[in-house]
Amino acid sequence: MNDSISNNASTTVSQGYRNVPGENIYAKQTHLPGERPGQKASPVEQNKKPILEIKGLTKNFSNFTAVNNVDLTIYEGEIFALLGSSGCGKSTLLRMLAGFEHPSDGQIILDGENIVDLPPYKRTLNMMFQSYALFPYMTVRQNIAFGLKQEHLSRDVINERVEKMLKLVHMEEYEDRKPYQLSGGQRQRVALARSLAKEPRLLLLDEPMGALDKKLREQMRLELVDIINSVGVTCLMVTHDQEEAMTMADRIAIMDRGEFVQIGGPREIYENPNCRFSAEFIGSVNMFDCTLTSSNLKHSVISCQDFPLPIELQHDIDIADGMPLSIAMRPEKVYISHEEPKQESNWCSGIVENIAYLGDISIYYVRLPSGRIITATLPNVDRFNVGFPTWDDQVYLSWDPESCIALTF
Amino acid sequence: MAVVSLNAIKRPGSKGHRPPPRFVPDKKMNFRERAIIFVPYVWMILFFLIPFLIIFKISFSVTEIAIPPYSPIITFEEGAMQIILHLENYTNIFTDPDGTYMRSYLKSIQVAAFSTILCLVIGYPIAWALASAKSATRNILFILVIMPSWTSFVVRIYAWMTILKRDGIINDILMTIGVIDTPIQLLQTDLAVYIGIVYCYLPYMVLPLFSALMKVDYSLIEAAQDLGCKPVKTFFQALVPQTKSGIIAGSMLVFIPAIGEYVIPELLGGKDSILIGRILWQEFFNNRDWPLASAVAITMLTVMAIPIIWFFKNQRKGDIR
Repeated sequence: MNDSISNNASTTVSQGYRNVPGENIYAKQTHLPGERPGQKASPVEQNKKPILEIKGLTKNFSNFTAVNNVDLTIYEGEIFALLGSSGCGKSTLLRMLAGFEHPSDGQIILDGENIVDLPPYKRTLNMMFQSYALFPYMTVRQNIAFGLKQEHLSRDVINERVEKMLKLVHMEEYEDRKPYQLSGGQRQRVALARSLAKEPRLLLLDEPMGALDKKLREQMRLELVDIINSVGVTCLMVTHDQEEAMTMADRIAIMDRGEFVQIGGPREIYENPNCRFSAEFIGSVNMFDCTLTSSNLKHSVISCQDFPLPIELQHDIDIADGMPLSIAMRPEKVYISHEEPKQESNWCSGIVENIAYLGDISIYYVRLPSGRIITATLPNVDRFNVGFPTWDDQVYLSWDPESCIALTF
Repeated sequence: MAVVSLNAIKRPGSKGHRPPPRFVPDKKMNFRERAIIFVPYVWMILFFLIPFLIIFKISFSVTEIAIPPYSPIITFEEGAMQIILHLENYTNIFTDPDGTYMRSYLKSIQVAAFSTILCLVIGYPIAWALASAKSATRNILFILVIMPSWTSFVVRIYAWMTILKRDGIINDILMTIGVIDTPIQLLQTDLAVYIGIVYCYLPYMVLPLFSALMKVDYSLIEAAQDLGCKPVKTFFQALVPQTKSGIIAGSMLVFIPAIGEYVIPELLGGKDSILIGRILWQEFFNNRDWPLASAVAITMLTVMAIPIIWFFKNQRKGDIR
């Protein structure tokens, strides 16, 4: 780890317009994979006490396989996100956990007990539905009390628990409202309170922000995490929104065609994708088809037909020389400069073809001599963009060796 | 950040609170719109209100051997206008020594209520099957439900007579397989009346239930299960409340015509099953006592108005969403 830092420091790529000079690169190294800056380490690192184990879970529908032989362990207290595009099987997986679909094969072990054959009403987990599924003919209070009433608890216990839940989600004033009298965010909080009222071992969230508009969504993410953390419930959420998964979850599983592509913390998944699919699925990325020229323990040289100069990495790549591989480069890690870099590798020249101004950042589309377009982003730290590259400028793109992700899948 | 925006949402009376939707005409209607509304009004006035008022008027007179066979309630004698309202038709209904009228009212209500419940119990699974079937299958099932009503009503009741009579199909089969030795009395029993009414009115129960079931939000059913409801409880807690409007509409469509049903009890029922429809027939055509028959009809209308008013009150109270 220290090696890479010192190496990184020696590779001077000054002159360029760096996001925040140097800093972010070092910051990355001080965190463990799966950890968020400023937050407690993921429960995985702290106490590895599994609460849910999925073993070889498979769901075949008549003409396709929705979930294919999936294994997963979820640890007590973590928020885990299943991330994937629609039709990847994440919802089917969630519905199997809740008991609405019966798996074709495999085991679901909750607290050491195989619950595959238990009906939904016997499972000690609760779900918050995408549509919230609040009973429209019941008040907020009745909705929250509904699950408790099924347990035949005494009226005092139910009332006490409902009060607690109303307070938790800040809905005390609304207890006598019907769901149609509530806003989207309020409905979501009632739905959350209802699913937490039974104190489930595992809380399932199905597209928790799916029914909210963008502004509310961003605000509710953190609020939801706060509530979930204050209760301390283990949480499995399904989402197609990567921002949502990255903000809320301790660990994320990227799903594609019924299988997990990668499981890891948000940072790990973004910075260390294990294959082209997860690199391209999360965030945006420049992907290059390359060939490995040579590789030894601390040095790999890669040639790419888009670049006249080689790409050099400071670690080995476990394939034979001359084999193809992909290099992934995040746009924010590509530096743009008007001055030609002095080193022998890891840069190229191009012409600014287009600039997308997004306010906080700008995306530069730079055309290489090969015709290939690379995207690079720059934060608009200067209100008037003095001296920044503009359309048709000749610019030099460079990158740190660590910024390149070598992918062999 | 979260706290600040939270307060914004919590403020009472903010945009989160929206009154239940209500139909309020927000502008004066123009001539064309009035004209369109006018047509059903004319229809209702001509074919419901005026006949009703005529019957209402007749119910306050007494029989006479004349044409028409009842006394006028407004008479002119020596320049004085007299309005004579005979209330004895109504008092007769309630004070009849045999209690015939009251008994037949109660019997009618009983038969109609029982038939409605039977239709509901039989119709709900049928409507469920329809609603959950694939669209191709659904069309076939739909035709099967509706097709019997393409045949004449009376013909179908006659068909039931041949099925239920002493040497009918049911008795034949039961005797052949040796369940019974002598034919059992099926025709001219209450059972036959129930069979007839349920058979004839079932589609009117199934169709509103079907349309209510098509609109069911299945996530509510899953939510109920998720929160610990066993299947039966899920049905009553999550499905029935959602289909309440269909249940009420279907029940009305069965109960109201069944209460005044004449043909089915007449053809299938026994001598003791004297329903209000038969009383009406007898008073009008056999006894030619139009005023009493009118009073019976008006009383029956009042009896039927009660569930209708209840229905509309209920509908307004429970306007979901």
